[in-house]
Amino acid sequence: MRAMWLEIRDELVGILREPTALFFSVLMPVGFFTFFVAMFGEAWENAGTAMIVPFGTFGVLAVVLMNPGIGMADAHQRGWLRVKRVSGIPLWMTIAAKVIASIPYAVAVLAAITASAVFVGDMRFDAGEVAVVFAVLVLGVLPFAFFSVAIGSRVGANAAAAILNAILMPSAIVSGLWFPYEMLPEAIARIGSVLPTYHLARLAMAPVDGGAWLGHLLVLAATAAVGAMVATMAYRSARL
Amino acid sequence: MLLAVHDLRHTYGDEVALAGVDLSVDAGEFVALLGPNGAGKTTLVRSVIGLIQPTSGSVRVAGGSPARAEVRRRLGVVQQDVGFPSTLTVREIVEGAAARAGAGKDRAKAAMTEMGLADLARRRASNLSGGQQQRLQLAMGLVADPALLVLDEPTVGLDAASRKAFWATLEERRNRGTGILLTTHIVEEAAALADRIVVLHKGRVVAEGTPSELQRTLPGRRVTARTSVPAEVLRAVDGVVSVTASDGEVDIAATIAEPVVRTMLELDPTTSDLVVATAPLDDVLIALTNETKEMVA
Repeated sequence: MRAMWLEIRDELVGILREPTALFFSVLMPVGFFTFFVAMFGEAWENAGTAMIVPFGTFGVLAVVLMNPGIGMADAHQRGWLRVKRVSGIPLWMTIAAKVIASIPYAVAVLAAITASAVFVGDMRFDAGEVAVVFAVLVLGVLPFAFFSVAIGSRVGANAAAAILNAILMPSAIVSGLWFPYEMLPEAIARIGSVLPTYHLARLAMAPVDGGAWLGHLLVLAATAAVGAMVATMAYRSARL
Repeated sequence: MLLAVHDLRHTYGDEVALAGVDLSVDAGEFVALLGPNGAGKTTLVRSVIGLIQPTSGSVRVAGGSPARAEVRRRLGVVQQDVGFPSTLTVREIVEGAAARAGAGKDRAKAAMTEMGLADLARRRASNLSGGQQQRLQLAMGLVADPALLVLDEPTVGLDAASRKAFWATLEERRNRGTGILLTTHIVEEAAALADRIVVLHKGRVVAEGTPSELQRTLPGRRVTARTSVPAEVLRAVDGVVSVTASDGEVDIAATIAEPVVRTMLELDPTTSDLVVATAPLDDVLIALTNETKEMVA
């Protein structure tokens, strides 16, 4: 347990001492949320409330998909992963620490988006609903960290940032995280419907709109299983 | 036996890095693995510390496979080309290494003091100089009081004073019973420190013994003279390994001296200042690995 705590501590200390990435990871989703609410607020009743879940989903994805992978890639590039492996730190612990350390990021971005909704006066969810959405998003986004770690253990930091951005942005758009899913062209919506990002947003929306949840949960469970396997294989086979 | 390597082979695609290496290190023994670049030293070290799975053969550290994390924890390791995270301080890194090895903060403090890092404890590790980072790696390696130290070119980039201090630490550890495997391409380092030198060339062990044994077992000779015989002619003489010529003076490394001395005197009877001596260890290694002096010295 102590070794696990040390791994997590090192990750969290890294976030606090180099907060630039955190700043942009939080600022960008919150900024987009505020911008879209301001733009559509008058024409679309409850725009802020309706956008909390999709933008919250985008926010947690931005931090959990980007940060563990870029951190892993940086450690890989420096040779620090070699030191960790030689020092007997188990593989699962290295990966788990990256994933767990991304949770405070995810909570921070959700809190900032919620605060922004309250600030613009368009917050209709009660505290219980907000707590459930937070819990679903924070837990539901963790499988994506595995893919982030997998990419980060194979490429350099700059390449990891580019690849992860290239995955995040299109996934967010076709999953209806920036624009309402119903407004998307049919062909694009069809692509979006098979992506785990879409299912994460739908799962988070289910407690507040009463929609189905089991199918989305199963997709995310399968994503977690595949992600863990891919991350393990990528890290093990990485030439350190 | 702390380290037992048997018939170790490793290939990268079609390239053979190790072609059947046997190696051992006992407690309190200092073994230097010497060879030119590309000899397979780093591949051998990476097999010993569990970073790569060899194609065939076996590696045992204190009786166990280094593929197992608990076996790797018995090793102290200094690797090449390691950069530290930009966010952690020296103290955090050494204390972390101590905690993971089940040692306390007192051991971390002692290791930092031993490696001259106590005054740098609060500094970010990535801001240290190259030599200080090497010492930090050794502090991490020493903190758990390992049975075996494995050091891959640890003194590259160190100034003379730091190198001497590094050597003193290693000798002190060896005297306390720690087994040490050191790879280097610096002959002086191997000769000064090692109980036994293992010469690796093209993935094979080509010689093994104490520094004096290596010199005795090979008929290495150093011939110097003032002569007008061209260097190209001397290079073609039987037994000549290398020739350095400058302003009429030649410096010849040869496996035997007689043919080259005879050639010089026949072609230039005015040859003078002729000196024949036992070759220094680096010339012996040139003969063993058939490499230019620059690659081994």
